[in-house]
Amino acid sequence: MLLTRVLQIALTLAILSFCAFALIALMPGDPIEVAIAGDPRLTAEDAARLRALHGLDRPFPERYLAWATGLLQGEFGYSRLFAQPVAALLGPALLSTVALAGSALTIALALGIALGALSASRPRTAPAVDAIAVMGQAMPTFWLGILLIIAFAVTLGWLPAGGVAEAGAGLHYLVLPVATLAIAHLAAYARHSAASLEATLTEPWIRTARARGAPERIVLWRHAFPNAALPVLQIAALDAGALAGGALVTETVFARPGMGKLLYDAVMGNDTNLALVALLLVALVTMLATLAADLAQRALDPRLRER
Amino acid sequence: MTRLRLGLAILLLLALAAAAAPFVAGALGHDPFAPDLLVRFEPPSAAHPLGTDDLGRDILTRLLYGARVSLAVGLAAALAATVIGTAAGVFAAWRGGAADALVMRLADFMLALPALPLLVLLAAADPSRIGLPARGEATGDVLRIVVILALFGWIGVARLARAAALTTLSRDHVRAARALGATEARVLCRHVLPALLPPVAVATALAVAGAILAESTLSFLGLGISPPAPSWGNMLANAQELVFSAPWAAVWPGLAIMVTVAGCTLVADGLRGRRRGG
Amino acid sequence: MMLRAAALFLALAAPAAAQPRDTLTIGITQYPSTFHPNIENMAAKSYVLGFARRPLTAYGADWRLACLSCETLPSLENGGAVRETTPEGKPGIRVTYRLREGLRWGDGTPVSAEDLRFAWEAGREAATGFGPAEYYRSAYELIVEDPRTVTIRFDRVTFEYASAGDFQPLPAHVERARWRADPRAYRTRTAYDTETTNPALWNGPYRIAAVQPGASVTLERNASWSGAAPQFRRITIRTVENTPALEAQLLAGQVDMIAGELGLPLEQAIALERRTGTRFRITYRPGLIYEHLDVRHDHPALSDRRVRQALLLATDRAQITERLFAGRQPIADTSVNPLDPMHDADVRRWPFDLVRARALLDEAGWTPGPDGVRRNAAGERLSLEFMTTAGNRGREAVQQVLQGMWRQAGIEARIRNEPPRVLFAETLSRRRFQGLALFAWISAPESVPRSALHSDEIPREDRNWSGQNYGGYRNPEMDVLTHAIPEELDPARRREMWRRLQAIYAEDLPAIPLWFRADAHVWPQWLEGVRPTGHLNASTLWAEEWRAR
Repeated sequence: MLLTRVLQIALTLAILSFCAFALIALMPGDPIEVAIAGDPRLTAEDAARLRALHGLDRPFPERYLAWATGLLQGEFGYSRLFAQPVAALLGPALLSTVALAGSALTIALALGIALGALSASRPRTAPAVDAIAVMGQAMPTFWLGILLIIAFAVTLGWLPAGGVAEAGAGLHYLVLPVATLAIAHLAAYARHSAASLEATLTEPWIRTARARGAPERIVLWRHAFPNAALPVLQIAALDAGALAGGALVTETVFARPGMGKLLYDAVMGNDTNLALVALLLVALVTMLATLAADLAQRALDPRLRER
Repeated sequence: MTRLRLGLAILLLLALAAAAAPFVAGALGHDPFAPDLLVRFEPPSAAHPLGTDDLGRDILTRLLYGARVSLAVGLAAALAATVIGTAAGVFAAWRGGAADALVMRLADFMLALPALPLLVLLAAADPSRIGLPARGEATGDVLRIVVILALFGWIGVARLARAAALTTLSRDHVRAARALGATEARVLCRHVLPALLPPVAVATALAVAGAILAESTLSFLGLGISPPAPSWGNMLANAQELVFSAPWAAVWPGLAIMVTVAGCTLVADGLRGRRRGG
Repeated sequence: MMLRAAALFLALAAPAAAQPRDTLTIGITQYPSTFHPNIENMAAKSYVLGFARRPLTAYGADWRLACLSCETLPSLENGGAVRETTPEGKPGIRVTYRLREGLRWGDGTPVSAEDLRFAWEAGREAATGFGPAEYYRSAYELIVEDPRTVTIRFDRVTFEYASAGDFQPLPAHVERARWRADPRAYRTRTAYDTETTNPALWNGPYRIAAVQPGASVTLERNASWSGAAPQFRRITIRTVENTPALEAQLLAGQVDMIAGELGLPLEQAIALERRTGTRFRITYRPGLIYEHLDVRHDHPALSDRRVRQALLLATDRAQITERLFAGRQPIADTSVNPLDPMHDADVRRWPFDLVRARALLDEAGWTPGPDGVRRNAAGERLSLEFMTTAGNRGREAVQQVLQGMWRQAGIEARIRNEPPRVLFAETLSRRRFQGLALFAWISAPESVPRSALHSDEIPREDRNWSGQNYGGYRNPEMDVLTHAIPEELDPARRREMWRRLQAIYAEDLPAIPLWFRADAHVWPQWLEGVRPTGHLNASTLWAEEWRAR
């Protein structure tokens, strides 16, 4: 089962690389046209020369094959946009994204599940939890980010308004962007864990457990929670995949370099090498996260194991 | 039950407000599309109950016209995603085996497919060439955004639906029903679909909200609804540039989005409560 | 919870207060994609490199050409430039540059004629991949006279013969071996991008000391600099693309100033000034960015000059600049900036006049229809497609105002916007736009608008869609003028030709002029000596004059 899934992932990546290459090649305007728009002194002669130099005058299948062969030999190529080898750019961007998205997701999951459990086990708190969830979810990320900046950076002056530390870990630079992302994601976790916990708590076997005299805390966390955690896990896996592609808006508002910004710039700037490698990397993380969630689901749900 | 009623009431009110946009504009005597540079950034007054925006247009009437666009985007995208997602998820769980693997791998593939180049491609495509409304007109933009959101939105619903359907299908009472000779259609309609409703209802409600939010993010990136048609998303994205000097221009569309999301969630909660008979 | 987390991290934060005034942090909205002076041109690179390397010549804040790393500007009068005939018998010119004494790379190596020779060789080789190569194609020979002097021979004579443009010394002792090994791979191997912090690459008052890709560039004093000593020990340039976030960083004290070249949109700066009073010093410098409407000249309505004139007459530019831009952006009469030495002050103007606009449209056969939109004899509505760059809020605002104003004259504008890359790389350059397009041209002082006005520059498939005459404007006299002006060396005669060009422009309206964009430079009150230029040569080229009070 694991082996087939891994093979499927490899196959998907191969097909995806072709589709993504085609998509980017189909986008209007090749890199040289983009350059001409920004530099009126480039002549027709210059354009032809640069096109030949970048290999853009060759037919599409040939370009794809050349690129794919290079990739299989471990050559990620060179980013035209950042004038750096692609591998050298991806490392720091990925690290920055993992720091941002990883901590935001962890915080959102922990808080979201706690809120969901609170709402499910103590119905009186449900409206308050709902209100928190609605507030968090209803704010567009860029707006929330700017509000936090106004409050904590501009007015109170406690935290930096954005950017990254020039040296050191720069933890205080992380607080506001992590809070922004966590607030945005927390609502879904709270909502889904509350929904499925409430549903699970009415199941007959829970009633049986209660009838046997199990304390409510044990019923909630030992019996109901593993069962109710499944949908939350699925969502978290999706989020993890999506965030591997970076939190573009958060990174833009807080001027943090990361995968989202890199990918956006690469696609918009028609930097095929960088865009493709980054896309494939993101796709790989996404699929691995899904696989992990499926495995966890198997481990948590005994009925699935039997099947 | 009261939650359901409250949520429905909010959504109904919003729909009514959207429908009433031309009348309100008429009553106030403002053209929400005509800039007037002499009255930029007016604070709320009797003439302009919510003030004016950066081009001197009445915010209230723009908000009402924006409701039409934003609600249309939200509902259309969420419904499309839910229908496709539920069908795909149930199909995968029910058929199992190769069909299951195929659907789930397709989902993986779609998830991994880069949305950004697709968006740029669609933004460049000229829908009038295939007989659809020309770009720039709100309908064209709405269509483009709905297609994108549905294309990437069905996956989450499908996973949710598949997981829930799998659980239900392995339940004893479903096995018993099958053993007693119930048709597959009956099993799906009587047992699987009802069991799906709670998670899918929650997902749909969140999808409406998510689509409205996604539209605002696209506006932020310059890929959303183009002017002069107002949407809550592009009103909010426009307001952010001058957020320090004219914050209220961003408060109203933000509030509108929040109320809508609240309405959707209440409806979802209400539906969930009714299924449980609680 | 949040508060407690904030307080916790506050304790970890480095004390940022009490800045000694020997550092300066600058916010800009773009990150340079390469640090090589000749590969790809972008404003962020010009800005950053202005601190760290000096070109031979540049236009100053007075828009006059000056020597930066040469001793005197070569001219026909001082003998630095001599007209001659090329070996092929064409009229040519030889120009001699002498490098300033004491100019050294950051590792102490003197900047020499060899460095210029290397730059010339690399530029001549097509495989090197430099951007615009017109200069190198024309510069057919370079002669090293002595270690500090070179003479370059050109096969084309223009009045700008003294300007070296992007041609500048490159450190041959670092770069030549890399280039010679494989010119094709040079752009991926250049030390400018592989070891950006190598001092030997920089000959300006500062050198690049650290880079964080996408985020910041740190500059420190260049020990080998022999010119006036710069005041700041360290300058950090941070990239923040989102302008509200950039403003927030300014207000939070994380950046000291925002560069005008790549900074806040004008409206945002005006609002900032209105709100913060005297906390910052904001200087508005109108520049050479020409906002205008490109017009499809083969459009049935727009091909009629009277319709173009009516469009301009129906546009209240004075009100727009006054209301939206606090009067900071000078109204354009033609594409020639009022600050340009060749500007003609007596050129025809088209102030807002709705009555005349209506009369002109009547005359052109467009009469009012039942829905307020004019119709011609065939009953077709006067409805124009109107495009601009989606996501540029300033332009989208202007676009909607214009739409409203034209409606008063009975002209309907249908807005249809596209993301910049689609608009520029496809719709404009392939001439797929149908009516009007609002965007800007950026130019240099006294640059001849040949590529936008000459009929040979209309993009065509067989010419690989090159050229920037997107609207398809044709005028034989304009063709002659845009070709002849660059080759006319006599300033008086050139001025006469420029006057004629502007007269035709203002009458014919090949494009509809709006205004020249102004840059908003936001400085702390204690900063002095920054001189905004308003053109492509950034203010940082004179960074050694910057002082803190």
